[in-house]
Amino acid sequence: MTALTLPAQPGHEASPRPMPWRRMAWITWRQHRLAVAGVVAVLGAVSVYLYITGEQLRHQGFISYGAGPVLSITAVLFQAIPPLIGAFVGAPVLARELETGTFRFTWTQGFGRARWTVATLAPLALAVTIAAAAFGLVFSWSYGPQIIGNPVLSPLAATTFDLHEVTLAGWTLVAFAIGSVAGIAIRRVVPAMFATLVAWSGLAVLTGAFLRRHYQAPLVTSNFTLPDGAWIESQRWAQDGHPVSLSAVDQVLQKIGATVAAPGHLGQLPAAGSQSAAGSQSAPAPGPGSVNPAQYLLHHGITQLTTYQPASRLWPFQWIEGGWLLALSLLLMAAAVWLVLRRAA
Amino acid sequence: MNVIEAAGLGKRYGSTWALRECTLAIPDGHVAALVGPNGAGKTTLLNLAVGLATPTAGTVSVLGGTRPGSPAALDGIAFVAQDAPLHANLSVADTLHLTRNLNRRFDRGYARARLDELGIPLTRKAGKLSGGQQAQLALTLALGRRPRLLVLDEPMASLDPLARHDFMATAMTAMADDGVSVVLSSHVLTELERVADYLVLMSRGSVQVAGEVDDLLASHRVLTGPAAEAGRYAERLAVVHARRGGAQAHLLIRTNGSTDPVPPGWEAHPVSLEELALAYLREPGAASLPGPVRAERTEVSP
Amino acid sequence: MAIGKGISPAGNADASSPGGGGAALPEASTRGPASPIEFRLDPASGVPTYLQLVQQVEHALRLGYLKPGDQLPKVRDVVASLAINPNTVLKAYRELETKGLTAGRPGQGTFIEATLSQVALPELTGLRRSLLGWLATADTAGLDEDGIVALFTSVLRDFHERRGGTGDRRAPASGATEGVA
Repeated sequence: MTALTLPAQPGHEASPRPMPWRRMAWITWRQHRLAVAGVVAVLGAVSVYLYITGEQLRHQGFISYGAGPVLSITAVLFQAIPPLIGAFVGAPVLARELETGTFRFTWTQGFGRARWTVATLAPLALAVTIAAAAFGLVFSWSYGPQIIGNPVLSPLAATTFDLHEVTLAGWTLVAFAIGSVAGIAIRRVVPAMFATLVAWSGLAVLTGAFLRRHYQAPLVTSNFTLPDGAWIESQRWAQDGHPVSLSAVDQVLQKIGATVAAPGHLGQLPAAGSQSAAGSQSAPAPGPGSVNPAQYLLHHGITQLTTYQPASRLWPFQWIEGGWLLALSLLLMAAAVWLVLRRAA
Repeated sequence: MNVIEAAGLGKRYGSTWALRECTLAIPDGHVAALVGPNGAGKTTLLNLAVGLATPTAGTVSVLGGTRPGSPAALDGIAFVAQDAPLHANLSVADTLHLTRNLNRRFDRGYARARLDELGIPLTRKAGKLSGGQQAQLALTLALGRRPRLLVLDEPMASLDPLARHDFMATAMTAMADDGVSVVLSSHVLTELERVADYLVLMSRGSVQVAGEVDDLLASHRVLTGPAAEAGRYAERLAVVHARRGGAQAHLLIRTNGSTDPVPPGWEAHPVSLEELALAYLREPGAASLPGPVRAERTEVSP
Repeated sequence: MAIGKGISPAGNADASSPGGGGAALPEASTRGPASPIEFRLDPASGVPTYLQLVQQVEHALRLGYLKPGDQLPKVRDVVASLAINPNTVLKAYRELETKGLTAGRPGQGTFIEATLSQVALPELTGLRRSLLGWLATADTAGLDEDGIVALFTSVLRDFHERRGGTGDRRAPASGATEGVA
């Protein structure tokens, strides 16, 4: 009954043809639609929240500056988006083929394993990058007023720098690329995901702590008051030529009721019992009759040398960081393809 | 043309040689059965032939001298690995799409018609099909590629007898229609006796027997006679395997094609393929290969 | 050796009915006129597959299922229903052609050309009687059934070898013994 009784003549599809990249992309989507849909859904939901927050911020009229608790927490949460995407979307692509053994099917098909790898990684890489960029745009729009022009919190600070659209896309893409390499190198899904998170975190920490400040030569100033949103790299106090600590300077200032309110700002000490405007970082103008703290310090021979990056460099830095992240991602994905070619059963 | 040709082929994993000194020439137009116990190296040999592994020593070529894993080899060879790996979360229709998009040549009409005949629904996820259906799906995808060589690694291990029959019928029909050559491995020889016309017997990483089934059966026989005389004849004849009772002995010998007279008092019987295979498997040193042979007890090629 | 269930030797009526409706019979190949016979395999008989096919054709000829002009089953149909190697079927058909029983027509198939020599009924009866006599003698001599079969097979071989081995040659069944050459 089940013996084939139909003629076995070659059908229309029997003639050879070049690889259909677009159709492969569709198949990749079908295979990974859960992960991609999950990413889009989560980012979409958070975007809605961000949009609402942004609207609220704008309607409030009064923008409270500072690294308020809400911004800090959400920023920390959002930092987790790229590595999670890399781990959940990037790592399983190759690792699952190896873990489940389906590579024995996929890599023996006519177009070979290299083309399959490219055809599978490229659409997913594109998808996560676009999704991350879109989310970054919403974030930039939503928290923009609170970040740009903030006298205390620099937009270049690690808290929010990589959440803007260019860097968020870049860090997501590199996480995906790390995931793909981890997948082919480790060959098991869960360990590869774990390795992706670890590797990405290491790279992110190194970049934020050491690499980012070198994108452009920093500016140096001896002003006691720094421009809004400057990102301070180092600050040295000296008294009569000898290095002196910040707390010593603070003690000197307290004699006139001032303090180093924040790096780069000298402000009034809040009066005892008065509402501590800890969140308000605007440098209060010296009241009539009170001594100008800056002049007071100079009078005592105290000088300051600050190395910093101005806030205006946000976008140049974004593009620089996005650029090398893109290059690194392409390199990593090429490495993944190379490892696929090299790998023997 | 030889569909698979190996010369001194070897593959080492870590410190273990999974395959060693393998020299083979499997001709086209045959159903070649790769038989041996687990761990004999069958899967390793097939992996090397389809490009999933690279040799540690020696060479292997397919389809008349093409390198395994090259585009020409990938086009011409369809491989169904052990347990018919498929993407479990893709539907049957999506799997067809995937196969079509991964190959230069794919006869979708044939594949759909065949699945229809088998009653495999296009919308079901591949992971939800029964074992027999998965095997048939994998075979259909392989045959839809219109290959010149079909390579099957233990294709029927988890199939019930009816599913096995249908599976083989599909493969053999494709061979009759399109001239596909078939190489399949199994550790159950009895099923392959009806189908195989070329036998490769492997044990512990090396090839013991390789040749056309007709030639092998014609060049071996069992001599039954007095156990006391068995030792005497063992010197003169190429004895593969001897079994002795108290008074009676059976000697499975290789005749080299010459029709020696049967010693007086002895009887000669033809051999079945299974008997031949078991005899060689019991004698790791014995071999029957066309060409130079590495054997201790019995040697000489036919 | 059964030829096929329920297919009448007189015509192709059952085999060529299209569709098979609710009939209990499996439908024969739906392409072109079907062959009168259907092959069957006995895997435990010890007889090589191709030889079983040859013997079934000869048997069908003898019994009248097949007549000159009838077509043998197409190779692919045999393969599809028995799941055997197509080379085996080709070998069987070549053997039949060598014996002069069949001829292949390119593009059409393999057709019966000749019949096996028939023995007339009176001769058959005479042969039966003499055989019964011989069996009685062998039985008296103490030969049991297996012994009789072994002796007969051995002598039959000798007879054919002396004749030159052409014509209706059969392979020895498993367990046959060879006498001193």
